[in-house]
Amino acid sequence: IGPTHDTAEASQSKVQIRLTTRHSDIELPEDPGVLLVSTGLRRYALSSLVNNLLHTEKPIPFEFLINGQFLKTTIDEFLTANGISAESTLTVEYTRALIPPLHVASFEHDDWVSSVDVLSNTSSAGKWAASDSVRAGQERILSASYDGLLRVWNMSAELLAISPPPNNSGRITSVKTAKFLSPTKIVSGGMDMTLRIWNYSDSSDPTESASITPALELYGHNWGIESIAVHTPSSRILSASSDTTVGVWSAKSSEGTPAPMNLLPNSTVASNKRLKLSKNSAKPVPQRGPLSILTGHTSPVSSVIFAPNDSTVAYSASQDHTLRTWDLPTSALVDTRTTGHSLLSLVAMPKINLLATGTSARHITLIDPRTSATTIAALTLRGHTNAVVSLATDPESIYGLVSGSHDGTCRIWDIRSVRPGTTELGGGQVGESVYSIERESAKAAKKVAGDGVKVFGVSWEKEVGIVSVGEDKRVQVNRGTVGNGG
Amino acid sequence: NIDPESLLPKLPSPDELRPFPTTCAVIFKGHEGRVRSVCIDPRGIFLASGGDDGCVRVWEVLTGRQLWSAKLADDDAVDAVRWRPGKDTAILAAAAGEDIYLMVPFSIISPELEQNSRDILDAGWGYAASNPSKTANVVSTKELPAKWSRPGTRLEDKGVLVKVTVRSTVKVINWHRRGEYFATVSPRGQSSSVAIHTLSKHLTQLPFRRLKGLAQSAQFHPSKPIFFVATKNSIRSYDLARQELLKILQPGAKWISSFDVHPGGDNLIVGTYDKRLLWHDLDLSTKPYKTLRYHKEAIRAVRFHQGGLPLFADASDDGSLQIFHGKVVGDLMENATIVPLKVLRGHQIKSRLGVMDIDWHPREPWCVSAGADGTCRLWN
Ligand SMILES: [Mg+2]
Repeated sequence: IGPTHDTAEASQSKVQIRLTTRHSDIELPEDPGVLLVSTGLRRYALSSLVNNLLHTEKPIPFEFLINGQFLKTTIDEFLTANGISAESTLTVEYTRALIPPLHVASFEHDDWVSSVDVLSNTSSAGKWAASDSVRAGQERILSASYDGLLRVWNMSAELLAISPPPNNSGRITSVKTAKFLSPTKIVSGGMDMTLRIWNYSDSSDPTESASITPALELYGHNWGIESIAVHTPSSRILSASSDTTVGVWSAKSSEGTPAPMNLLPNSTVASNKRLKLSKNSAKPVPQRGPLSILTGHTSPVSSVIFAPNDSTVAYSASQDHTLRTWDLPTSALVDTRTTGHSLLSLVAMPKINLLATGTSARHITLIDPRTSATTIAALTLRGHTNAVVSLATDPESIYGLVSGSHDGTCRIWDIRSVRPGTTELGGGQVGESVYSIERESAKAAKKVAGDGVKVFGVSWEKEVGIVSVGEDKRVQVNRGTVGNGG
Repeated sequence: NIDPESLLPKLPSPDELRPFPTTCAVIFKGHEGRVRSVCIDPRGIFLASGGDDGCVRVWEVLTGRQLWSAKLADDDAVDAVRWRPGKDTAILAAAAGEDIYLMVPFSIISPELEQNSRDILDAGWGYAASNPSKTANVVSTKELPAKWSRPGTRLEDKGVLVKVTVRSTVKVINWHRRGEYFATVSPRGQSSSVAIHTLSKHLTQLPFRRLKGLAQSAQFHPSKPIFFVATKNSIRSYDLARQELLKILQPGAKWISSFDVHPGGDNLIVGTYDKRLLWHDLDLSTKPYKTLRYHKEAIRAVRFHQGGLPLFADASDDGSLQIFHGKVVGDLMENATIVPLKVLRGHQIKSRLGVMDIDWHPREPWCVSAGADGTCRLWN
């Protein structure tokens, strides 16, 4: 084997290694068995070794994990630092190196952008739809803005469609969250406490433009809606509200309950008067109420998700410091995990049975939600300097995450990259980010607490990359080298 | 030889007293000129602020987004903003010059909550007309202590629904915990400097016709029918039911700027223009239990956390806020533990003015400050 002979000097010691990987597409064609390599090797030489064994045409950059820790030094230094004997055979796991994601595009808005969703063949709405309903190159980006409008963009940063402004009797219309239910349906929620279902027509006919038209209004929340989750096969929608509840809704008007009269824009004298005075000529759409309202949280609910493998279970994260598990058919609160901080965002890492939740205290806590779990916080990811308000998983690694923060950055994490935490910070395992993405709009400026460039939302899809939005009124797309994710 | 210092109980270190605010998380920008007053709503979602631009603004606490604003005055600053306590309404009181405004920022609340709030404000219209005898014995033949009126179409369309005009510029507003009464202080108002307003009757009363000294601030006791009034040098407590003086606290200050009552009701902090922060234990004596000198310039505001955390803070013209641990033990034998925790810097000093006001989040160890630099800041 080349690299072993090339770099090893006679005086240097050697170590036996066995190479493994968890990714089937980069498995070695034939098992080389135990290899004898110089302890002076670093990541780069090991990466060449694996590329030689794989006979790759274009070298793939690899990272190496020994005992769950990334190799950042020579093998010798690693062994010394971790008190491992060079006599033993090391199991060395290799994985594709994350490529620093490069800025590829920014889409400008008139106002703060609060939330983003991607429609692609591998996004959840794309997967639920008939196969090939989103062709390669036809991916769509949905942005929600504080100006009260939804926008759909293509990958060339062209604005395809914009939603009409809702008529809600003079109340604020800022949208906080929006998602594709399918390639032709969108759901949004925001400060006006109303969930709105929209028809989206992408218009395959090039002479017609795409459009977003209102289809259904869902009433039941008493305060703003902060986040939504969708499960298209069952037409179910979940909403997290500042009114301390989680709403359960149907996207079908035929399934909804009657809309609660006291929350409609025409329900009171003053509100109805403003409704009539407004020059908005929007056609009325059906109004419905919730299937269920889940109560238990004691402060605003920030985020809600369906359990990844069971759409009858939901998880919610709240400013009351708790993560709660709900059984949806019975509307029962099943479990409450109490943490030390306000929880502001939530995502599931299904293959490793963890939930990641972002906090006001600038970190991300990983929680095992299974009732059998004995510890509350499995891992803490530190590095952000302000609230962590949005999370998404790496489409190509079960260990990967991206977080969006009010500090104006998105950070990429591999939860295998950990070290023991200090007692001052509560002990446990602590992770550090692999890369940090800054706002293109504020590259040079040093910002206090992310002032002016807060990130509000982030999404990560295989074909599109990392899409983040924020106070700088932009959608920002970052992507690594094609084929290497991110 | 025993060092006498070693016999004193050791104070806990700040590290053991987490959580407390350490970092600036949000900067609220929009006011032109100084921000004079800040207040977080009872749910912890909205921040209200008032300033020299004559505007009241409401912001989203977590993001710093401005959601609502109203220009109350062209020539006067908004010196005080205070949310009505309780979660059944969303009513904000603000003072500009001699006018106190009561408003419902309807654009950010549900129609139902808007209606509840309007009903509370509207209930008192016509009370004076239909109850002449009751108002008569308050005002006799003299000038009315206050005039309750509608502020006009421009403001009413914004949700500013009631205007209460008193005789002299209002600098302080503080609500009673049940939201039926609020007190205002007009330092130059002489016999009308302290007023107590009854919301359901649109009625204003002047309880202290002969206040000795210049009134600075006033506040209701958090649970008992007791009322505190600060003048330049002392703080008096009164039994409201029996209408008698209970106690006169002597902080030893040249000029009191502000005070706040601990949620337990037995302790009080006082801020002074002569740079001192004083802690009074009402069970101990009329003199301060502790004097804290940390600031280089005047202290303008002091505030206890009201949501169960043992924290208090002050704001100074030196541009900083100081955060303290202040643990009150129920036991009469044990005195409060006071530990300085953190100095928060970030506000710019403008024309020798620094931080004008502070408030705490109702649950979290987060505080918000109003700066002469035109910004508000959230610290967490
Ligand atoms: Mg005591």
